[in-house]
Amino acid sequence: MSTALRKVMFKAGLTTLILIVAASPGLCQQTLRKKIDSLFMIASSAELKVRDQVEPAKDSIAALGVDAVPILVGKLGTKSARDRWTVIQILKKIGSPAVPHLVKTLKNPDALIVQRVCWALGDIGDSAAVDPLIAVTSHSKWQVREQALGALGDIGSERASEAVVSGFDDEVGQVRKAAVVSSGEIGVSVAISRLVHMLGDEFYGARLSAIDALLKMDTSEVTIIVADSLTSANSLVGDLGCTVLGRIGGDRALEILVGEAQGGDPSRRAHALLAIIEADPLDNCGYRETIVSDETDRFVLLKINSAIYSVTHAGKETQE
Amino acid sequence: MVRATLVLLILIPISAFAEGERNLPAERFGIEHLTEYIGMRPDDIGFRTDYAEPDSFRLEVVADLMARPLNVIDYATDLKNGHINGQPEIMAQYLFKQTAREGQAYRDDAYRADISEIQANYTLHYNDVTFSQILTRAAVYLDVTFSRSLDKSLALLSRSERRFLREEFRELLVLRVEDELLPIEQIDSLEKVEERYCEQFLTFGHKVNKDPLLDAGVNCLRELLLEINSLRSQLKSGAVSSKSVLEGTGFLPDNANLEAYLGLQTGWKVGGPGNDYYNGDYKFIFDFGGDDIYDLSYDPANPHGVIIIDLSGNDSYRAQSDFVFGSGCFSVGFLMDFEGNDRYDSRSFSLGSGYFGMGVLYDAAGDDWYSGDTHVEGAGTFGIGLLIDEGGRDVYNGAVCTQGFGFTEGVGVLYDLAGSDNYFAGGKYKATIHYDDHYNSLSQGCGYGIRPYVSGGIGALIDLQGHDNYQSDMITQGAGFWRALGLVYDSCGNDQYNGFQYAQGSGTHMALGVLIDDHGNDVYFGKGLMQGCGHDYACGLILDRHGDDTYTAYDLSQGAGSANGAGLLIDNLGNDLYTARETKNTRGYGNPRRDFGSIGLFIDLGGTDQYHGNGKNDHYWRLDSKWGAGMDIELNPLPGQEAKK
Repeated sequence: MSTALRKVMFKAGLTTLILIVAASPGLCQQTLRKKIDSLFMIASSAELKVRDQVEPAKDSIAALGVDAVPILVGKLGTKSARDRWTVIQILKKIGSPAVPHLVKTLKNPDALIVQRVCWALGDIGDSAAVDPLIAVTSHSKWQVREQALGALGDIGSERASEAVVSGFDDEVGQVRKAAVVSSGEIGVSVAISRLVHMLGDEFYGARLSAIDALLKMDTSEVTIIVADSLTSANSLVGDLGCTVLGRIGGDRALEILVGEAQGGDPSRRAHALLAIIEADPLDNCGYRETIVSDETDRFVLLKINSAIYSVTHAGKETQE
Repeated sequence: MVRATLVLLILIPISAFAEGERNLPAERFGIEHLTEYIGMRPDDIGFRTDYAEPDSFRLEVVADLMARPLNVIDYATDLKNGHINGQPEIMAQYLFKQTAREGQAYRDDAYRADISEIQANYTLHYNDVTFSQILTRAAVYLDVTFSRSLDKSLALLSRSERRFLREEFRELLVLRVEDELLPIEQIDSLEKVEERYCEQFLTFGHKVNKDPLLDAGVNCLRELLLEINSLRSQLKSGAVSSKSVLEGTGFLPDNANLEAYLGLQTGWKVGGPGNDYYNGDYKFIFDFGGDDIYDLSYDPANPHGVIIIDLSGNDSYRAQSDFVFGSGCFSVGFLMDFEGNDRYDSRSFSLGSGYFGMGVLYDAAGDDWYSGDTHVEGAGTFGIGLLIDEGGRDVYNGAVCTQGFGFTEGVGVLYDLAGSDNYFAGGKYKATIHYDDHYNSLSQGCGYGIRPYVSGGIGALIDLQGHDNYQSDMITQGAGFWRALGLVYDSCGNDQYNGFQYAQGSGTHMALGVLIDDHGNDVYFGKGLMQGCGHDYACGLILDRHGDDTYTAYDLSQGAGSANGAGLLIDNLGNDLYTARETKNTRGYGNPRRDFGSIGLFIDLGGTDQYHGNGKNDHYWRLDSKWGAGMDIELNPLPGQEAKK
């Protein structure tokens, strides 16, 4: 073999080697993507015949760790609800290592992606995501605001308190609901009076979630504020306020409820009476007889009797 | 008799009004009363329009009802009352209004044909003025109006886009038995193909303007029926006979061009009172009587209108292809059979099927037998599919997308006025995603869209009289799926409803499903997501106003809300029996999703009722769920029956 030929061959070999080395990350990435796509097809399948393989497939993708995150995030724009659920479940399994890439994705112009990334960050629950999530609580799309506030509640950092409380004023019920739920998760004590006001929210999701949120707060303070709000022009505030007091229980709550149980509005009386039965199921305070004997509305009476039946048959099947 | 009338007179006000002074329908009172019990209001049952990206295909009616789902009771009542005996054109016109897109500013008209466009082409062959008038009107529509209106409807579409609608888009509805045996990779591949079809459709689907073609169909039906009824009256009174009507000019020269004679041209046939046989792809058949056989076919690549009128006889309609017998495929198709016990054997897209068009099958009398596969017996896609049967005990069979089925921008209605009928749907295409042994039905009052690509339409099954038997499987009997509305309204009779899942007042994924049964001792049976169940920002409602009824379900049923949906079961009167196997998620149950609850309401307003599972006669109850409640009260107790202290 001539020297010239050797030189040519050496150069050609070197060039090939350089090309292979240069292309290898791409090749690796391509291989990884193929592997994930293949596993994902099973992980996201609803078919009965692969049901046993779904969880192992998710675990296998999660085991690929942080390298899988960009590829998974790339799938978040999917129109398939099942695919979306699967991606988020896998991201949750990957956990904190996924957070840096997810946080970067919060700047994605596609609100759908951002919304789903918020969801994933909430599920992961890493406090490193708190500030970036706060930044998107004022996003123009309400779905993003809802998910961001919800995620902040899931993470449970007090740093998010102000952002969460500001969500009470959102024009969209779902966002207010997320703010209410998260305020309870975080325990935003300054929000108590706002939460009591939310008992009258026009969106039932926010209204009824406010009950649970209030029960997570300082209940003595809640009792005082609820008592002050029972005369609200919005009857829902008082009705659900009674429910809150019933769940809190105690002498002060019962005292307030007995007063409400003697009012003129049958709906309010019913709420108060049911709350009394919830707070004092065994009638240790002896209110029941007085209350029942005074009641004249047949529906309120039936509600009382039903509630008494339920507490006296608690744990038993309500079959008839 | 007098006593029965008196009892009725007493009962009707009791059922119609609650609490005397409030003048509310009983069910409305029940909803207000129970929602108040749990700190809610009836208006809480309502949904936003923007949970997901909207498409441009949602119907105005569906959008309005999703905002106020409880209005569906009034809507269903209007639809039930929308038909007048002998006048199917009125229901057709009514359904045309229902096909308006959300936010659609105006409805486009049909092409207006000039009568001279026809007069120049034909010589009258028959002497009878009325009959000639029928033929002339039919010719105007078949030769000119339908095709020109179709041109208007599809004016903005390219040739390949039109072909896509005829072929690929249709695949979104068609199922294959052999698919259940495919391996996961091929199933995944098929799903991806369908997704691509949807995405391709989304690039141009908004350019489809179904209105001109549908308007043409409604106008044709109205004009034709006027003349047909006139002729039938003359025949009935003896003013004319079929023989006299069929008498032609008496002389046709040997070299006459039949294409120039109205009624004799290719694709047209006029049959006498004897037994006739028709075979082929026809545009127009008028048959005066006899037990006839129709072996008809249709080529969707060469769309045209089809009008078949059969005045009497026990006829046999035997499909030789899809798209026959009251089928509008890129056109308008009518089949009007006025008498006799008829048998309709079809394949797919038939028997009152509107696929990018309008299909009406009107059967005025007789005990009839209907059978088909896919998109049959009142099924609409970008159009109207209407099957009206005004008399007799009928049998309806179909595999999928049948018996009141509405797909995208479509309304499909099966309207049966009399007789104890049997409805069967399913049994052919397995629902392999969930079960080895259950079948897709998408039937019996089913509105269906493809999630999350294209909104569904309106599917309704209305039955006014008789003891009826509804047998089906998955997604059926008042079921809405993806921005759609499915409803069943049965007015009278002791009826039996048997479905498996997503049934009997079931809304799934931003949709609405409702089953209303006014009278009779009815039996409702099934497994789950039924009998008033709303899943994923959807509403399912079952309302039974009278009778001693029996409800049986396994789980997530009988007033169950799931994933922020709302489910309501309302039974106004009667001594009822309720059975539910699962107590954790039935009868006033709501489950949480997206950090808040759903709404489940169980309402029984009268009678002495028995409960297996949650609930109790004369009782209010709440489950450990978010959020819901049940109540069994005596709305209007007899003296001495009031609750005891």
